[in-house]
Amino acid sequence: MAFLTPLFLAGLAALAIPVVIHLIQRERKQVVVFPSLMFVRRIPYRSVRRRHIRHWALLLVRLSALALIVTAFARPFVPGTTAGAGGAGAREVVILLDQSYSMGFGDRWDRARAAARDAVNALGPADRGTLVLFASRAEVSLRSTADRERLLAAIPASPPTAGATRYAPALQTAGSILADSPLPRREAILISDFQRAGWRGAEGGRLPDGAVLTPVVIGGDAERLNVAVSALSMSRSAFAGLERVTVTAGLLNRGTKPAASVAVRLEIDGRPAQTQQVSVEAGGSAPVSFAPITVSGNPVRGTVRLQDDALGRDNMWHFVASPAIPLRVLLVDRDGASGRASLYVARALSIGDDPRIDLVQKLAGSVADDDLRRASVVVLNDVPVTRSLADRLGRFVESGGGLFATLGPRATWPDPRESLLPVVPAAPVDRSRDDAVHVGALEYGHPVFELFRAPRSGDFSAVRFFAYRAVAAPDVERTSGSAPGQVLARFDTGAPALVERRAGRGRVLAWMSTLDLTWGDFPLKPVFLPFLHRAVRYLSAYTEPAPWLTVGQVVEPAPTHGNLEPGTWKPASAAGAGRVALTPSGRTLALDDEGADVLELEEQGFYEIRPQASDAGAVVVAANVDVNESDLSTIDANELAAAAMGRAAGATGPDAAPLPPTAEAQERAQRVWWYLLAAGLLLLCAESILAARLSRFS
Amino acid sequence: MPVLGSSAIPGARFVDPAVLARIGNLELVARSVVDGFINGLHRAPYFGASVDFAEHRGYVPGDDIRRVDWRLYARTDRYYVKEYEADSNSNFSVLLDVSKSMNYGSGGATKLEYASILAACLTYMVHRQRDRVGLVAFDSEIVEHVPSSAKHTDVVLHVLDRIKATRPGSLHAPLRKLAEHFGRRGVLVLISDLYEEPETVIDAVSPLRFRGNDLIVFHVLDRAELEFGFTDASSFEDVESGEQVPVVPDTFREQYVSLVRAHIDGLAARFSEARIDYAVLDTSQPLDHALFKYLTTRERLMRVR
Repeated sequence: MAFLTPLFLAGLAALAIPVVIHLIQRERKQVVVFPSLMFVRRIPYRSVRRRHIRHWALLLVRLSALALIVTAFARPFVPGTTAGAGGAGAREVVILLDQSYSMGFGDRWDRARAAARDAVNALGPADRGTLVLFASRAEVSLRSTADRERLLAAIPASPPTAGATRYAPALQTAGSILADSPLPRREAILISDFQRAGWRGAEGGRLPDGAVLTPVVIGGDAERLNVAVSALSMSRSAFAGLERVTVTAGLLNRGTKPAASVAVRLEIDGRPAQTQQVSVEAGGSAPVSFAPITVSGNPVRGTVRLQDDALGRDNMWHFVASPAIPLRVLLVDRDGASGRASLYVARALSIGDDPRIDLVQKLAGSVADDDLRRASVVVLNDVPVTRSLADRLGRFVESGGGLFATLGPRATWPDPRESLLPVVPAAPVDRSRDDAVHVGALEYGHPVFELFRAPRSGDFSAVRFFAYRAVAAPDVERTSGSAPGQVLARFDTGAPALVERRAGRGRVLAWMSTLDLTWGDFPLKPVFLPFLHRAVRYLSAYTEPAPWLTVGQVVEPAPTHGNLEPGTWKPASAAGAGRVALTPSGRTLALDDEGADVLELEEQGFYEIRPQASDAGAVVVAANVDVNESDLSTIDANELAAAAMGRAAGATGPDAAPLPPTAEAQERAQRVWWYLLAAGLLLLCAESILAARLSRFS
Repeated sequence: MPVLGSSAIPGARFVDPAVLARIGNLELVARSVVDGFINGLHRAPYFGASVDFAEHRGYVPGDDIRRVDWRLYARTDRYYVKEYEADSNSNFSVLLDVSKSMNYGSGGATKLEYASILAACLTYMVHRQRDRVGLVAFDSEIVEHVPSSAKHTDVVLHVLDRIKATRPGSLHAPLRKLAEHFGRRGVLVLISDLYEEPETVIDAVSPLRFRGNDLIVFHVLDRAELEFGFTDASSFEDVESGEQVPVVPDTFREQYVSLVRAHIDGLAARFSEARIDYAVLDTSQPLDHALFKYLTTRERLMRVR
């Protein structure tokens, strides 16, 4: 017998005190002086009763009751022996059921569910079971219960999810549940097809020491056809003023037999558009190209679909073909400038279609509010800015627009220190008589210069500058993100060359030289065009709309009160309106108007995100399964189990030595204290009755 | 002085012996007590020896009609008065037990104090009768001896005042010696707690009667000795021998009281056979009351004889 709180046993010693005092106590020290004991001596000795215990039964009942109560407080328990073979004790069992889409291959899912039911039915009366469903994430369906009926009911009847397999989250979940369990034996049962793609080492998915992982392999299928759409690409072209997209799908034969004449169908907005036949060798791949489709106006929902085989989820590939939306740039020249003033800038911005840039050129004096409303980026090409233009540009940037300000010899601002510019430009620095300056330090981590990070991807040091504008304000160099500017590039004299500033929801880039041949040969260098394109893309916060995403990814609907265009995957919505997401299965999910909620893509198919009250501004997102999941090659289940348990493979099994339970766990399981306390209270009741009867009798 | 209670005797006041004991002047106490209850009576009681019959003579008018011998009248149909041999100036001695057991008192007054006051009262009363008073204090031997004399009242009171009970006592030896000493007839008053067997007591006191002395025995006991009103289990220690006996009073009391009663009854029977006056005095009761009761009873018995 052991005790959880043995100090309480000290109370037992106190029980003996009154008994000892009573027994050893002689007559009271009080002595009564009496004239004569002549008559006292005559009374027979037995009548002169010494103090001694008369009611032994009553004393024993009292002492026993107190002893039981004191012992109950000491929390006794019978220490369990360490389990040997066929170790005894209740089990904490975590059933990990693989719900990834590869379990939909053939009848794997039915077999997996049957195995889960068998595991539940194998639970003993004292065992507790937990059901964890996992794919790329693990979800506890029912935690630590002895109710087998509930566990059986928790096994999902629906087909597997569209998620891919990740064993680490499931093992971590099982590990935490087993670690918290007070039961002596801990076991995890992993029911899966043990895909190699789902295991990337332990990844932190370790079970507690002594826990056992029992793998249940669902596999060994007969040879089945399994061809998957593994990739898809879209190329754009223009024809007769219309934008066209050519879809090319890549097929992959995961099976061991060749797939002949596999029907591949292209669906546009849910309707079959084209069908082709292709044969794919076993283990091989083959491309399928479809005739171009016209994309105009609204985005097109497309699907490349194969004929059914043993694994249906990888037989389709969804995509959204959106019409290319040009980036609108307003190029502002100074009043009175010749047409050649912005020759190089205009030419550079007119080249390329990724994105395509719609360039509008205006003189400073003729810039209208409408021009600013339509533009995403404004490029000021060495313009003396008036107060009115400065105010309008300020509002433009504050509301999310981008401003590229070229500060050449003529560029001025009405209040430089309070202006939108990230710097206060000073007088030009003339280096025509000296060596030209070059752009030396670049912030390659910035999106503008990230393209030039890799070797031989653009050499800014070849550009020569014979003049530049100095910076008047001494505190221009500050960390990015604050109102003052961040220097993104410097001349080799140390003076800033390109400075960024955020203002409101927009950004401003200040280029301290010209974009023509006046102060240098920048426009003649190869880096000129990509630099301008990167700068303009950055200022416009342009992101390419993703034609598809993968199940498991998260879409973050951004608050849209500016002029983000539909067709991107950041949905626009009317200001103040709530948004909803329609899932491929038809469910409607509410999204927070302020953009705090995220939408996790759990299903394969098309999601539509739109304002709650209208269809305008709806955004379609295509979600495809992880193509790696269609690779059904397996890993050694024992190897995975060994890695999870942290011990050599083979030392597994439910009869392995269980973890010795803690003292607290044993005491909690036995609850001896409860019985002792009850017995003590019963004895106290009996003592009361007995004492009353003896008192009456005496 | 606090009065314990009135009685049927008008004018008589009975005083708490504890209060009397605290009064330092024994003569004052004696006088107060005696005068106190005598004043309430029609006439003072006579505490003296019984008078022997001498002869009859014819009644003449003026004789005390109470001296008429009515038996003779019944026989002779003639009135005759009795004439006695009165002996004035008789001897009166108090035999006071001053053994250590007399030092016990559960209330305000010890038995010795009570006995001393009693002896003082009797001495004073007898002195008022112009008899000779004396005192013998004894424990296991004679401690003090004041010969009887009409001038020894003060001496007796003085001795009573300072007497202490310090040693164990016994009745037999000293009383035997005293029996030989008292040659002249008188009144002997024995005041003791009589903690000896009745036979032993009778053997000790009977010789005092041999010379014709009038013997009166006052058995002085404390209320605790009579009722054994103890409650706590204690060790009881004999004050004279030092012996200790554990006692649980609850179960002991009844038997003890019955033994004490039997002892008193035994003494009363033996004293009655030996024609010795015997009275039990409870030290918690007013001394004058007990004394008065005894004296009136004694006087009534004397008339009967």
